[in-house]
Amino acid sequence: MSTLIVISILAIVVLYLGLFKAKQALLPISVLGLVAALALAIMEWNSNAAPIFSGMMHFDNFAVAFSSICIITTILVFLLSKNYFEKISDNVAEYYTLILFALSGIIVMVSYHNLSMLFVGLEIMSVSLYILAGIKRKDFASNEAALKYFLMGAFSTGFLLFGIALIYGASKSFDLAVIAQYVIDRPTGIDPIFYVGLVLMIVGLCFKVGAAPFHFWTPDVYEGAPTLITAFMSTVVKIAGFAAFLRLFSICFAPLQDFWMPTLLVITILTLFVGNITALYQTNFKRMLAFSSISHAGYMLFAIVALGAASTNAIFIYAAAYAVSSITAFAVLMLVKAKTGSENFEDFNGLAKSNPFLAFALTVAMLSFAGIPLTAGFIGKFFVFNAALAQYHTWLVAIAVVNAIIGVFYYFKVIVAMYFKDNQTKQIATPAYFNFVLGVSLIITLVLGIYPSFITNLF
Amino acid sequence: MSLFYVVAFLSIIFALLVIFTKNPVHSVLYLIATFFTFTIHYIILNAQFLAVVNFIVYMGAIMVLFLFVLMLMNLNTDTEPMKSTLLKVVGAIAGGCLLVTLVGSMKTLSSASTTAMDNTGIGLVENLGKVLFSDFLLPFELSSILLLAAMVGAVLLAKKDNKTA
Amino acid sequence: MELEFLIEKTALVLVLFVLTLTIAAYSTWAERKVAAWLQDRVGPNRAGPFGLLQPLADGGKMFFKEEIIPSGANKYLFIAGPSLALLVSFLGTAVIPFGQNIEIFGRVVPLQVTDINVGILYIFGVVSLGVYGIMIGGWASNNKYSLMGAIRGASQNISYEIAMGLSIIALLMVTNTLSFKEIAAQQHGWHWNVLYQPLGFLIFLICAFAETNRVPFDLPECETELIGGYQTEYSAFKMGAYMFAEYINMFVSSVVMAVLYFGGYNYPGMDAVNQALGPTWSPLIGVGVMFFKIIAFIFFFMWVRWTVPRFRYDQLMDLGWKVLIPLAIANIVITAIVIVGFDLFNKL
Repeated sequence: MSTLIVISILAIVVLYLGLFKAKQALLPISVLGLVAALALAIMEWNSNAAPIFSGMMHFDNFAVAFSSICIITTILVFLLSKNYFEKISDNVAEYYTLILFALSGIIVMVSYHNLSMLFVGLEIMSVSLYILAGIKRKDFASNEAALKYFLMGAFSTGFLLFGIALIYGASKSFDLAVIAQYVIDRPTGIDPIFYVGLVLMIVGLCFKVGAAPFHFWTPDVYEGAPTLITAFMSTVVKIAGFAAFLRLFSICFAPLQDFWMPTLLVITILTLFVGNITALYQTNFKRMLAFSSISHAGYMLFAIVALGAASTNAIFIYAAAYAVSSITAFAVLMLVKAKTGSENFEDFNGLAKSNPFLAFALTVAMLSFAGIPLTAGFIGKFFVFNAALAQYHTWLVAIAVVNAIIGVFYYFKVIVAMYFKDNQTKQIATPAYFNFVLGVSLIITLVLGIYPSFITNLF
Repeated sequence: MSLFYVVAFLSIIFALLVIFTKNPVHSVLYLIATFFTFTIHYIILNAQFLAVVNFIVYMGAIMVLFLFVLMLMNLNTDTEPMKSTLLKVVGAIAGGCLLVTLVGSMKTLSSASTTAMDNTGIGLVENLGKVLFSDFLLPFELSSILLLAAMVGAVLLAKKDNKTA
Repeated sequence: MELEFLIEKTALVLVLFVLTLTIAAYSTWAERKVAAWLQDRVGPNRAGPFGLLQPLADGGKMFFKEEIIPSGANKYLFIAGPSLALLVSFLGTAVIPFGQNIEIFGRVVPLQVTDINVGILYIFGVVSLGVYGIMIGGWASNNKYSLMGAIRGASQNISYEIAMGLSIIALLMVTNTLSFKEIAAQQHGWHWNVLYQPLGFLIFLICAFAETNRVPFDLPECETELIGGYQTEYSAFKMGAYMFAEYINMFVSSVVMAVLYFGGYNYPGMDAVNQALGPTWSPLIGVGVMFFKIIAFIFFFMWVRWTVPRFRYDQLMDLGWKVLIPLAIANIVITAIVIVGFDLFNKL
């Protein structure tokens, strides 16, 4: 709770800083505030919190873990934002504010204990992002991204809301504990509208995390939005979506696994194939990352399909690995784009000679995406597959492995471009902030890959 | 109960007209009629506050803005773009699939049990206010963040900016 | 439902309907007389004594004039616009208590068509619907001046509705109810709400001018810029319907202000009168007092019309958004502080 308060107040403080033209103070104060929020979140670890505000919010270990990872990733995104927004417009403070508002919505999404809170949190996050996607007002792609995201998002919220309403109609409550009790009390004879509500909620949430066949907005939005916002969307927002998904299903719908598992299974397999195979044909690095984020959504859905004790841990590790690698990839992309002006694979040619550190960091990130051992991505995939194997979904794991191999192809494209193709380019000047972020991400990726026991036994 | 069926029938008719009318302004007017039937639904359910708020906010404010924008864009003519044959075929196939699914699910249909409301007076202003400011206080307060974010965004997107990229 | 109940309500509705129409018709006469008085003229004086039959003559003229529907207009909506404006303007009076309960032939009859417990919100909703008549009519005319007038009307109504709603919120904090009947009853004797909510009343009054499109906020039909605004293309009785709707709106807002802020049928010393005259005749005095207040407000509307010049459009928007809304919010905060302060004071 205190985390949420700190972030909300921080957002308003930043808004006022913008009013008083204190541009230099924006970044330090935002980062400091987020560090404070992070510390407050971690202090609640293992405090055996009970649901607060008449069962609206439950800041348990699950919430602490996922809000921490979201806050850390946001801090990294903020560090990359130095001098980024200034190029777009004069109203820099508002952008920080909107990102912070989105983050406060995300904190609600990972700690809700009532479906009305889930809805409010999701809306706070989405509304902020609709605007952030369109901040390049004269840029056609950015406008398209914002409008598409807004229409699709509003549409999917409709599904989610209808689902919530039907579940309320059957169980007479928005409270997760009461809904769970409703399911447990009725081994047979659950009201049919409850099932309809459940399916509608799956649809709504799959829209939000960008799983196929509800993924159509993802590539255009990710490509059109400013790169920094894309980095935020594809990491923090996606993790929050999965946390909300997992929280709902593990608390409320676990006993109904026989009912929803087949649906989600089909969605998962579709997501994996659509994401990976389409990513193969991309020439634009940013678009490739968009499709790869779809496929990663597929891997994370795996852990929900095989819902069990290990699922939370698996998604947490996967999300952490995916977040740091994505941040690296987007950071390098921003630097390359600032230099060459486009985002295609050829722009990475010869990067290994001109900027060895950048090339190395990006290589490690790509390896982590692909799930090569000794990187965090491998550990993430290992845990996700392990969770699936524990439930005897052997052939599902086989499909996933096939997809992982497809993934290797397109992740290596950029590595090949950097190391084996020549291009007479001058060195890209990397600001210290970028070096810091890249270094931190690199260290996290490698440390998690080599000593995974840091976070594997959290839950 | 029969009143419910009449109003529900009207809702569906107006909602269909919203989609099938070609003139966008007529669409909006039918949408207003649809919202009006929703207001009647709320009154039937004894949810007075919701009824009036639906009336004021949706019919009185949001739809006026819709109409406003449509009138300013001067879409007097029936501007429905022609759809290609391919799209029509795809649409027909998709619609057919939906129909098959619906028919299939109708066959295994079992009716939901009707649950009576515990408290029929919950829709009155007084009771609603009490629930909103006690049990649902936190979501109520958080909605202010939602509104503030939307407001900041609206100003941000609409304001003149000297340095737009 | 008993027969007496039906008769009673039907009678009340009919009386109200006729009364509203009469007052609206004679408002047109009064407007010209007031204008003449303020401008040191005589005003209408040919039809009947003091020109009192003038409204009837005007009505007859409108009925017999030629109806013109422009060829480019959307016929159905062109007719629907004025009809809607007139219809909506009548709805407001349904929830207004015009007096205390009156005893007729041993039967207690409330002088109110219906007492719903969200009465204020109902009025608010009806007012917000009023703009559709203007918008539909203005758009359907297929005329640029009409469209401009319609758009001005819509944006003006929406902007001032916010300040109006906020000023009512402060009032509700004082009254603790949304029902007109209870609000009127609370202001017994001289406990009029305007004494507790002077700022709120001022804001409400200004917004009422804007919502009824009266001078100084009559930009939707401002003849120097827009010919006739949204009614440019209208003739005969459709034009008359718009005019009637405007005067009825003025009547309804006067009624609402009288009930919400000026005590409705209450007047100082009413207890003594109640005892002296009994439950059949004393409420009628209340009704008389109520109508005195209403007519005073209508006169005020006219007085302002012939005194204050029209606002410019940007001034109108600035006043609404940058002055009235902040003031209304400040009013809410002040009211809250005072209420809480009194509670604490009483506990000590």
